Amino acid sequence: MSTAINEVKEWILAKHAELTDIDPHLDLIENRLIDSLSFVEFVFLVSQLSGVEINVDTIELDDFRTLHNIEKRYF
Amino acid sequence: MRSAVDNAVTERFKELLDRLGEKSVEDYYNPYKMFDWVDSIPEDVYWMSEDLISPYGTELVDELGVETMMRLSKWESINFYSMNVHGIRELLIEVVNRIHMPGFEIPSDFFHHFIGEENEHMWFFAEFCRRYGGKIYPTVKLELGSAGDADVENFLVFARILLFEEIVDFYNMRMGEDRSLHETIRQVNRIHHQDESRHIAFGRELVALLYKRIAGRLDETELRGIEDYLKRYVAFSLRAFYNPAVYRDAGVEDPMGFRSRLLADERRRAPELKVVRKPMSFLTKNGIITDPTLSIN
Repeated sequence: MSTAINEVKEWILAKHAELTDIDPHLDLIENRLIDSLSFVEFVFLVSQLSGVEINVDTIELDDFRTLHNIEKRYF
Repeated sequence: MRSAVDNAVTERFKELLDRLGEKSVEDYYNPYKMFDWVDSIPEDVYWMSEDLISPYGTELVDELGVETMMRLSKWESINFYSMNVHGIRELLIEVVNRIHMPGFEIPSDFFHHFIGEENEHMWFFAEFCRRYGGKIYPTVKLELGSAGDADVENFLVFARILLFEEIVDFYNMRMGEDRSLHETIRQVNRIHHQDESRHIAFGRELVALLYKRIAGRLDETELRGIEDYLKRYVAFSLRAFYNPAVYRDAGVEDPMGFRSRLLADERRRAPELKVVRKPMSFLTKNGIITDPTLSIN
């Protein structure tokens, strides 16, 4: 796992004190680790860490569903 | 099951609905004829009151210089009106879903005024964006299911609508009165503020009533969960004013880094709290929020 995706994981863990780790294939949205109020910040975080300018008009939700998908698409 | 509004209404609420409905009829105007849409607004002036531009209060104002700050004020104003367009679109969906449905017979007449007026607001905000910015900024939306409990869901819907309207109204009031701004900008903000004062009066009364209804049967953990959600919603709304796409359009270098620097700057907390002072005080007075501390960055 890259340093960048670890930073993404740490960002989520910091918001969920009940968790100690996140499975790379866990659905972050279904399991409400990311919700409607945190999703924008989450997208911005991935954009900042990856250096990829993310067009919010054309976001593919599945790219953000799991740490595995995020790493595959953005890092 | 009859839920939500009709079971919670009081005589005072019914009287308010009648009064606001009459006022809507009296104040009715044709938005399609009302506005003085000039061909263009000069680029070498501020499009937003300076104290509403996101770097206000930090050294980033000097770092950007006057020319970039003016450009930024233009794109931040287009962002503000775009937020209005999307916010109104979302609240209309919720109100349309409830009008003339069981449990909403009493406010349905007022909902007709509300829907009509909000549709018109959405039109003039969109018109401003397209005429003077050539676009409406997009929004990121993640749809998740409802809260499950119908009463809680109704309360949260109308609380979000109220918070959105109160935050927007702070900007409208400031810009409607700011004589340094172009008259077209002042007019859009002034007219929106006039209509919104009715919607806010309705929203406050309704939200307080709906909260009383759920506060009586939910336990402390559930109520604190609601408090936490609303404070997160306020923080989420305030963060929307720091849009990297806006910084990019204004020619700011490293838009994401610029956004992070601003959000991390403690000097931004005072202007942000000023924007939400009234709704936070309303939520606190009604016992909906017990600790007004917000976590914005």
